[in-house]
Amino acid sequence: MRGDRVGARVIPSGLIVGVVLVALAFLVRGVSPAFDGLGLPDRAQDAVTLALSVIIESAPFVFLGILLSTVVQVWLPHGFLLRFLPRQPLLRRAAISLLGMFFPVCECGNVPLARGFMVGGFTVPESITFLLAAPILNPITIITTHQAFGFSDGILITRIVAGFIIANVIGWLFSRHPDPDSLLTPDFAASCARPETAGHDDHDHDHTHGRGPSRIQTSVDLFARETAVIMPALFIGSLVAALTQVFVPRSVLLELGSNPVWSVLAMMALAFIVAVCSNVDAFFVLSFGSTFMPGGIAAFLTFGAMIDVKMLALMRTTFTTRTLVQITALVALMSAAAGLLLNYVG
Amino acid sequence: MSAKRGADWSARLAEHWRGIGLSLVVVVATVWLGFTGQLGLYIHPRYFGFTLVMAAVGLVFVVASFFFSSSFVASTPAAKTTPRRLALSVVGSGVLLSIAAVAVLALPPATLTSATATQREVNSGGLDTSDAAEQAATLVGTGDYERLSVKEWVSLLAQSDDPALFADKTAKLTGFVLPDADDPDNVFYVARFVVTCCAVDAQPIGVPVYLPGWSNTYSTDEWVEVEGTFTPNPSGRAQASLAVEPTTIESVEQPSDPYVY
Repeated sequence: MRGDRVGARVIPSGLIVGVVLVALAFLVRGVSPAFDGLGLPDRAQDAVTLALSVIIESAPFVFLGILLSTVVQVWLPHGFLLRFLPRQPLLRRAAISLLGMFFPVCECGNVPLARGFMVGGFTVPESITFLLAAPILNPITIITTHQAFGFSDGILITRIVAGFIIANVIGWLFSRHPDPDSLLTPDFAASCARPETAGHDDHDHDHTHGRGPSRIQTSVDLFARETAVIMPALFIGSLVAALTQVFVPRSVLLELGSNPVWSVLAMMALAFIVAVCSNVDAFFVLSFGSTFMPGGIAAFLTFGAMIDVKMLALMRTTFTTRTLVQITALVALMSAAAGLLLNYVG
Repeated sequence: MSAKRGADWSARLAEHWRGIGLSLVVVVATVWLGFTGQLGLYIHPRYFGFTLVMAAVGLVFVVASFFFSSSFVASTPAAKTTPRRLALSVVGSGVLLSIAAVAVLALPPATLTSATATQREVNSGGLDTSDAAEQAATLVGTGDYERLSVKEWVSLLAQSDDPALFADKTAKLTGFVLPDADDPDNVFYVARFVVTCCAVDAQPIGVPVYLPGWSNTYSTDEWVEVEGTFTPNPSGRAQASLAVEPTTIESVEQPSDPYVY
């Protein structure tokens, strides 16, 4: 991966290096099954398989998120999205929490997209609202949840309403923060302030003529920059999720299922560990529908869509640990409240 | 001074190529798995199309990054960090990239094993039972019980464990050997994993087989085809009330699509 510097001066040689590396990777991949039976112990082998399955499942959504983020940052005029949003902060965040309807990326793809929104002019609380609401308030999630549960037991309604409320309450709380930029990691705050990322500050269409890099070049550069941050987080988050699954017996969680309080807490813990995408988590949790009370299922679907091991690793690229602890605690408390309400009242 | 600049330069290099390198590894593996028909070891078939299209897009971006590589040094601003952080970033990127390359490109693709199955209780979930039961009912209607797979038998057994209902039916099952949790000496499951999204949510399902001393002949994780009839489970300890009494058990190759959906 390092050898490219030789070709850094002449453009086509960079391309050649790229193609050669890709071909080499294919060659390694194609030849290596010949060394089958490397003799990994079953558990280690399963941990690798589980981690890989999360990575292969999520990476396309990450790419899609980066692509949409690039469209927002580079190809749409600066502040384009902001024009359509109400100015009043509460209404504005409410509108932002519905943006997921138009960007049905999975939750892992929302992180690069939210980063793009912030560079494109969203405030920090607004992007937090988006990040929390979009995994739930998007067409794919709503359809799959409906397919899995219909309107029975109020699970779908609880998920939608709780998702909207939690995202907006947390957005409102953070909007009262005296210095929202301090919620961000220094690296990301710096890249928000960096003029050339934000691009075409005053003159929207100033891109092709002029001395700056072309839009295509900026887009490719953005891909490198975003993947440099997101992909390591995805790898580490997936590995943690896989290791927890291999070493923490799930039966421990299942025994708690029929108690109104424990079913909620156990399902939230399960959601945190398994880190399934919000688009499909309804199908996954369907299998627990007989063991767990509806409130537990609703808490799983609400909490897990917003927060899990993998998401925390991804969000850590953008927010400080302190901010994430606060967000996680707030989401957990409110999801638990929603679940308990459904168990006791619903 | 020049040492600092060197460290700074290599950190920027690492920063720039880390994401592209990891993307390259994932994209190449995805495309290769897709073309060799092994993507199903990791994700549900309904994602094949989307995953492969996005992998192709990712591949274009990866190659394009090399095409534009000449400009990155100029466009990446110097990070204001300590030399220690710079070194950490370089080493961290290198280590992560190496691990990723080995795990994703060099290790042979594999299906989940009984190690994961024992972590997750057999037949505790994963099947959309109403759907599976409907399919099972259709097949039962034809009277051709040998066409019922592990999945259908599991959903039938979940609906009823009345011995009379299963008495005259011969089951022919293919799956991997998974020892019963309560009576591992006498009972094993012919098991499969049900996948709803990707392998991470795989749930083991299986039909119990009663064969004392089975482990002398067969090993855990081995793929077998079992033929036999249902009887009340003679095992006092196993939880399943019905079990297959095998007439034949044959070792078979692992199927190319080991999971059920």
